[in-house]
Amino acid sequence: MAAPLRRLAAIACTVAITTVLVGCSSSSTTKTDDTGNDTAKAATITVYTGMHKELIETLASDFTKKTGIKVDIRAGEDAEMSAQVMTEGTRTKADVYLSEGPGPVARLASEGLFAKLPAADLKGLDPRLVPSTGNWAPYAARARVLLYNPTMIAENALPKSILDLSKPEWKGKFAYATSDGFPGTVSYLIDTIGQDKTLDWLKAIKENGVNEHKNGKIRDTVEAGQHAFGLTNHYYWYILAQTEGGADKLTSKLHYFSQPDAGGLLLASGAGVLEASKHKSEANEFVSWLVSPDGGQKVIAGDDASQFPAAKGVNSEVPGLPELDSLAAPEFNQAGFANLADAIALIEKAGMN
Amino acid sequence: MSSTIEAPGPSATATTALRSGRGRRARPPVLTTIAALVVAAASLAPFVYLIFQNGVSPSSIIDEFTKPGVPLLVWHTIELALGVSVAGSVLGVGLAVLVVRTDLPFRRLFTVLFVLPLSVPGFVGSFTWVALSLRFAPESRALFSYGGAVLVLTLATYPYIFLSAVAALRGIDPAQEEAARSLGHGPVGTFVRVTLPHLRPAIALGGLIVALHMFAEFGALQMLGFSTLTTAIVQRMTVFGDPDAARALSVVLAVVSVLVIALDAVVRGRTRPARTGSGTPRPPRRWSLGWTAPFLLGGSILVVLAALGVPAFAATTGLVRSFGAGGPGIPWAELADVTFATTRLGLAAALVAIVVGFPIAYLAARHPGVLSGLAERGIWIAHSLPGAILALSLVYVGVNWLHPLYLTTTMLVIAYVIMFLPLAVSSEYVGLARAARSYEQIARSLGDTPLRSTLRITLPLALPGVAVGALLVLIEVEKELTTTLLLHPTGTDTLSTALWATTNGEVLDFTAAAPYGVTLMLLAAIPAAILARRTLAQVD
Repeated sequence: MAAPLRRLAAIACTVAITTVLVGCSSSSTTKTDDTGNDTAKAATITVYTGMHKELIETLASDFTKKTGIKVDIRAGEDAEMSAQVMTEGTRTKADVYLSEGPGPVARLASEGLFAKLPAADLKGLDPRLVPSTGNWAPYAARARVLLYNPTMIAENALPKSILDLSKPEWKGKFAYATSDGFPGTVSYLIDTIGQDKTLDWLKAIKENGVNEHKNGKIRDTVEAGQHAFGLTNHYYWYILAQTEGGADKLTSKLHYFSQPDAGGLLLASGAGVLEASKHKSEANEFVSWLVSPDGGQKVIAGDDASQFPAAKGVNSEVPGLPELDSLAAPEFNQAGFANLADAIALIEKAGMN
Repeated sequence: MSSTIEAPGPSATATTALRSGRGRRARPPVLTTIAALVVAAASLAPFVYLIFQNGVSPSSIIDEFTKPGVPLLVWHTIELALGVSVAGSVLGVGLAVLVVRTDLPFRRLFTVLFVLPLSVPGFVGSFTWVALSLRFAPESRALFSYGGAVLVLTLATYPYIFLSAVAALRGIDPAQEEAARSLGHGPVGTFVRVTLPHLRPAIALGGLIVALHMFAEFGALQMLGFSTLTTAIVQRMTVFGDPDAARALSVVLAVVSVLVIALDAVVRGRTRPARTGSGTPRPPRRWSLGWTAPFLLGGSILVVLAALGVPAFAATTGLVRSFGAGGPGIPWAELADVTFATTRLGLAAALVAIVVGFPIAYLAARHPGVLSGLAERGIWIAHSLPGAILALSLVYVGVNWLHPLYLTTTMLVIAYVIMFLPLAVSSEYVGLARAARSYEQIARSLGDTPLRSTLRITLPLALPGVAVGALLVLIEVEKELTTTLLLHPTGTDTLSTALWATTNGEVLDFTAAAPYGVTLMLLAAIPAAILARRTLAQVD
């Protein structure tokens, strides 16, 4: 007769033990979560980012030194972090979003999740990076380039445009990656040569080249001599050069297009302040500092990640990195990266998985 | 006794016959059933979200299936799951036979070494293979193929089947094999006709674990350039920034997984591993390897070098560079912090998983039926979803249904439990199945309540299986990356997220990553070594 009662008690015990265990394990960390909001002095802002974590950590600690405002960082894959912000919606814990590429930040902006930025923030920045919508600020940039292996192809023998790569003479010569930067390139092509020709080009690329899926793997396989050249972003090569102790230790080299070409797009890394943020003034202060030549731009100029600072007149100290001004990038509105649906549909249609 | 599955013992059939002969079948306890169903339903939360978010209908599923490229991806996914589970079974069973049933030299040492690859995270293993290939065969693309993917992933997952097979082999009564031999069968014939059928449940469950792992695998496959449904899903999600397309394609994957889980139920049938005999069967006879010994010893060394030596080599040389002149040095304080956080999370998740998994395992072992079958199978679905999709579903669940817990350790532990519950349940099930039901019945007949008999008699007897479950969950949690990145409390890092942070988002550079990589593998090696130690008891 006491059996059901005992059973109930046992289950209650189990639940209680579980709760206590879980509770204990969480209590010691929750204090680092998002407390400290009560006192205005020790305000803490939370930054969600898809950018390299080490760069953001350096930026954050410099900003804290300057202003006393603490910065908590959540880092992850760019599109996953932005998807997290979208899923959190108005309940988001993010005050600022810092992207790696233009797509995620443009998407958050087009979903109406960003507050307006002061126009002054955007003034001193390279106009090619500033989105027409003006609600996020580019703070760094990457360039699309050709990375080539000089033992397999001379620099002057490289294609003048990536549009040429659909020709049979390039078959088996190059690698590409359906990674960040690629959908943007396709989107640019749709704008300039139209859907049909872009699809033809994609199919030819799939036929002629090798999809290495990751820019880092393009770098490593071109360096190893598996492909004569690859379509990629500039900075992975500089990172390798640093690890290996200098560009002269590498076989491969970079080629920046001398004419505006689809293969030489500039990709902005952007910063936006969340409309749902409860610390807007601190968040705005952070973004303003981030894009100012004496603030965040200096950090980016000196950083090992080898990205271009977005502010005009600030040049990277990384050896061998050209000035952003000198790059012949084609005109393309960075806000256009918000909707890559057409580009993605074409990539899928071409069967590039 | 240390495995996820165990072949039916010699007297299992007899007991079953006795039981059904008596026609007595206790009704499943109501509260346990409710607890099991609640846990199973909770583990399905991400899947339910996936369905609701997409408004899935049969026609929309067919639409997704027939999109360009998708049939090929489905084929690749199935082909990979099949290839790795078959190769893993051959390797796992082969190695188990070597250490349990032959006079292979150093077999105790090999038993430990064969289990240890469990502690190497998939993305680390595949990265080190690619790095090795580019370094020593710079122009070779042999690794970037179906064969390469099967090789690297088999080496990472065969220990699941090895563990099961060792326990199953040890559970076989040698008398049956001796009878077969006396009836004129050769050693091979005896193995095929008598031994192998006993291993069937072990291979089937180990194979299911491996196959569903393959469904969810991303990092290694991307590195190896082999596209499956999951790599395409994660590409849509993380590269194209199109979560809707990713979820739509995930439904295709979920459908394939459900089919495989259902198919497995049919193939494996209702084979109920059990042993009611007293004590263990006497140790089996060992075959003398004779002139094949050097070759098989060489093969064993080769497996260890491939599965453990390759990652160990990359990690060690990376560590040397870290320490060396101009190297970044070792971030000791950070390393200590994240090691502690990882351990704590792993222990919490392992403990919760075995507690909440117990009712499901209990029902499945003691009251097999439709409900227990659904609960036992249902928990596998979350296991087969790609990390990125599962994690984002859990973000939604956390934000909307469990908001006070969102981005706390509690929520992260819940996520781990959902992901790795099947590992806990299947081991507990084996433990329970081995704890003879008759002891429980005797206790009951002497006046114990069901709860009391469970706690006093069954639980202690099932404890080895429960412990194995906890260890497996611990290992997997320590290696987990994708979900941790999205759900960790801000400011708390784990070894795998700290490792990831050194990759600059794209390439694993094994210099800055080495301290975290090495610590992670050593930390996960602790539970793996405990598993191996338990397995050793069955080798000699």
